[in-house]
Amino acid sequence: MAAVARSIRPLASRMLSQRAPIAASCRVSPVAGFPRGSVRCFSQSPLCMIVLPIHGLDGHDVELTQLKKYTDSHEWIELAEGGKTAKIGITEHAANSLGDVVFVELAEEGREVSPGEPVGAVESVKSASDVLSPVTGKVIQGNTVLEDNAKLINQSAEKDAWIAEIEVHKPDELEGLLDEAAYKETVASE
Amino acid sequence: MLPSLRRGPGPWLLSSSCSSFFVRRNSTVPPSRFTALASRKSSRYQIYQSLSSDPYVNLSIEHFLLENAPSDSSILFLYINKPCVVIGRNQNPWLETNLRPLQNTHTVQNNEVSNGEGVLYVRRRSGGGAVFHDEGNLNYSVISPRSTFTRNKHAEMVVRALHRLGATNTSVSERHDIMMSTEALNRDSDASAPEPLMRKISGSAFKLTSQRALHHGTCLLDSPNIHNIGYFLRSPARDYVKARGVESVRSPVGNVSSIFTDASMPFSIQGVIASIMEEFAQLYAINPDAILRAQRAHVNEGELYTGDNWVVGTVGESQASEELEIKRGIDELQSMEWKYTQTPQFTFSTFPFEEDPRPRPPLLSSLPPSTRAFLRLKHGAIIESQISLSPNPLEASKQSNRVHEALNGRRLHEISPSQLNGILSRMDHEAEGNAIQSLSTFLASKLL
Repeated sequence: MAAVARSIRPLASRMLSQRAPIAASCRVSPVAGFPRGSVRCFSQSPLCMIVLPIHGLDGHDVELTQLKKYTDSHEWIELAEGGKTAKIGITEHAANSLGDVVFVELAEEGREVSPGEPVGAVESVKSASDVLSPVTGKVIQGNTVLEDNAKLINQSAEKDAWIAEIEVHKPDELEGLLDEAAYKETVASE
Repeated sequence: MLPSLRRGPGPWLLSSSCSSFFVRRNSTVPPSRFTALASRKSSRYQIYQSLSSDPYVNLSIEHFLLENAPSDSSILFLYINKPCVVIGRNQNPWLETNLRPLQNTHTVQNNEVSNGEGVLYVRRRSGGGAVFHDEGNLNYSVISPRSTFTRNKHAEMVVRALHRLGATNTSVSERHDIMMSTEALNRDSDASAPEPLMRKISGSAFKLTSQRALHHGTCLLDSPNIHNIGYFLRSPARDYVKARGVESVRSPVGNVSSIFTDASMPFSIQGVIASIMEEFAQLYAINPDAILRAQRAHVNEGELYTGDNWVVGTVGESQASEELEIKRGIDELQSMEWKYTQTPQFTFSTFPFEEDPRPRPPLLSSLPPSTRAFLRLKHGAIIESQISLSPNPLEASKQSNRVHEALNGRRLHEISPSQLNGILSRMDHEAEGNAIQSLSTFLASKLL
């Protein structure tokens, strides 16, 4: 959709964050952090690769871990089996903090996004907020259920009310995102 | 009156209009302009008054500040726009505004009207509903860290500023607006006491980013158009249009100046501006030098002043034209895509149907009773239509198909009344031309 496609610069706008300064200092700042993933990962250890659900030669999944990651700007991203596509939404915490969602703008199909670029936007209580892709990819579809039922975000932010489905171009970008525990810590420190 | 400003160490006079270099004594900081100062890491407190009355310029300077000022900064930006109707990001201009008198969309395409006279139509980047601006309406905008922001914080700040001036009958509403209570003229002799009448004087809207919160609000101080605002905000198509997105909540409005009509105290917009600056300075504990400079800046147009952690002064079109990012913002707001195709999906129907079962006003007498007109639009373009005159279902369906062939995919704002008439003429060579003309005139009066 037009607004999402055009308006927002990659680094500047991200979903609400109410983080306290202490929490901010121990995370990658949004400006320095894009692409957030690789920076964090390589600074730690090359072995911190997340294990994607790769089919082994014998046809069994090698390992399935950490399919769902979070951003400090309160988006979640969940890789689908195979690791090629992912759904993106806003966290329950974000939904609660925004209040009643009255409208969801969906990204247009086929749009290429870089980390930090919008894949949708949410309006609640006169407030417009962008939903940003945590990774590089291409929009497959927006969740059209939200067109008629924006409130679903308040009811099922992390499940039914996903906002965009994208083709993930660089799965390793997920490495630098927060896991559930780290995200919860972020929220708790706010 | 304001005490005279001290010269010497402390705030520095910066002249951005006569030269692109700042006069910055005893300083090794390289010369820079508004955008550099606004983005400067140490510019924690910023106060600007705009010299421009162009809503596209002001909204884009504001957006630049939201995106570029340091993340821990608190910014007050005050501006007054020439007459315009401003709708929220996710609103529908065909439902929320009286588009026709606002501007002729077909001429705007050729860029003829956008800088001309008349009332402009603007879509802003923040949420919320439609409002009217003119030279008697002050816009206040506060950009602050998301972490310490609440939706009422700065509306309350403005209320304190109004109280300071004597408008003690103002308060923040549940919808984060500012209301003014006035004693209603009680014409009913049976009633024991006059009931206070609440009038809205200020509407709020917000844009949130990961670290920043922008709250901007209107404030009707002394609008000469106060009695015509409804005219600009009432769509002729409202009985026929059902839209996704955000609908405005209508409120009776009033001017703050109305309570000063018989007061001895003079009321001036610049006085309100100074008072809001004062309250902003108190809220964020800003250096008193900064506030004095800010309050006086409008006298010396085009000047910026700066201290260790603050920047204050006036901004306007020269700043906007110098900064590519602001220019881009202006282009975006003026684009037909932003104004029209950003509109959420909606329907127009002359008859009730499942999604919009409201009873409809009777058709014009010049139209056959069998007339049906239905449109569904997505991104401002027609994706479904059913327009027919014939009472015979089979014939009506043929008419409708012929019209849809020509309408499908067309953007509504790009269709002129004569084009519409041409398209409807495809309906039938046998049908009376009068009915077709009458229907296209009717549709044009509602939508084009």
